[in-house]
Amino acid sequence: MPIAEMVGANRPVLGNGIVHVMGDAKVSVDEEKRVRRQLVQKALEALQRDDNS
Amino acid sequence: MRVVHYLNQFFAGLGGEEKAGALFETREGAVGPGKLLEQLLGDGAQVVMTLVSGDNYAVENQQSIIAAVLEKVREANADLFVAGPCFQAGRYGMAAGALCSAVQAKLGIPVITGMAQENPGSDLYRETLFIIDSGDNAAKMRDVLTRMATLAKKLLAKEAVGLPKEEGYIPRGLIRDHFVEKTAAERLVEMVLAKVKNEPFESEMIPTAFAPVPMPPGVRDLKKAKLMLITDGGLVPKGNPDRIQSSAATRWGSYSIKDCADLRGEDYEISHGGYDPQFVRQDPNRLVPLDVMRELEQEGVIGELYDEFISTSGLANPLSNTRRMGREMAEKAKRLGIDAIILTST
Repeated sequence: MPIAEMVGANRPVLGNGIVHVMGDAKVSVDEEKRVRRQLVQKALEALQRDDNS
Repeated sequence: MRVVHYLNQFFAGLGGEEKAGALFETREGAVGPGKLLEQLLGDGAQVVMTLVSGDNYAVENQQSIIAAVLEKVREANADLFVAGPCFQAGRYGMAAGALCSAVQAKLGIPVITGMAQENPGSDLYRETLFIIDSGDNAAKMRDVLTRMATLAKKLLAKEAVGLPKEEGYIPRGLIRDHFVEKTAAERLVEMVLAKVKNEPFESEMIPTAFAPVPMPPGVRDLKKAKLMLITDGGLVPKGNPDRIQSSAATRWGSYSIKDCADLRGEDYEISHGGYDPQFVRQDPNRLVPLDVMRELEQEGVIGELYDEFISTSGLANPLSNTRRMGREMAEKAKRLGIDAIILTST
């Protein structure tokens, strides 16, 4: 995230750690998928905005 | 001194955007800014030929226009090749950069161009070429051409070229030796003291500058949008068919996910140093969230997911490389009519 901000990337969304940006190895498979879905939904929300807010 | 000059349709007086498709053509003698260039070069310099192309034509036919320009410059027996100045005009700058670097590499004669630092051509070619920093104001034509002519004459005479600031060119990122009075330690302490006292000082480390990328407007109707997944986390099919390097990658690949509901660990591997890949190897959806995207596609939340994902490895990579790959990916996405991209980065 700090790098994305430093280079001025548009619409950055914070993932869940470098080793599994879109997952979580510490929780059950079902729970992990919920985490992933939330992250994707955050990304989709960002894609619909016209600014970085 | 025989000079060949490249201009776009606007500066050659053909017209504006409506003439951006104008074909490549050759004129005898100087045209438009070329006349002033000739005067400023002095010493009986003569623009013997002006090459003109519409901006769209030049960018869309880069290889053939490079070949044509090389032939013409060789034919003209030129001592110097000049392109622009291009100011903020992006396609013009890209063409000028490509042509100058081809002439320099293939014909070995001095080349000079000018453009704004924010021009995409500057990003791509400043390491290879002397590009005079023109700023974005075309009213400064005389001033920009003066600096272009001065530096061109130095290059022709094989004189030592000064620092970017002194000559007015865009920093090339080159490192060269020179003698100084004070040791690094002394200079450093002086800078720290100046900083503490709020006095001006000049760092010797130039931080990399990132020109802001304008944000395209948000997706208006997600239900109709075509999405694409990209990652720089190095996920590649088993065997790494495109041999994408795990560090300082020069290549990227596009891999089919047609009819796949999710990604399976046994089909993929990671070509990316620097992070522990075991979790993504177990379940690649942790990097490229295909399973969730498919669900959202089925539910009609998004219109469509493009049936390939793009991948490369984003580690210890020179910016010139990553910018090129980013542009290539963006061109592909544009060609495919992709509305939005989710890029997952490690």
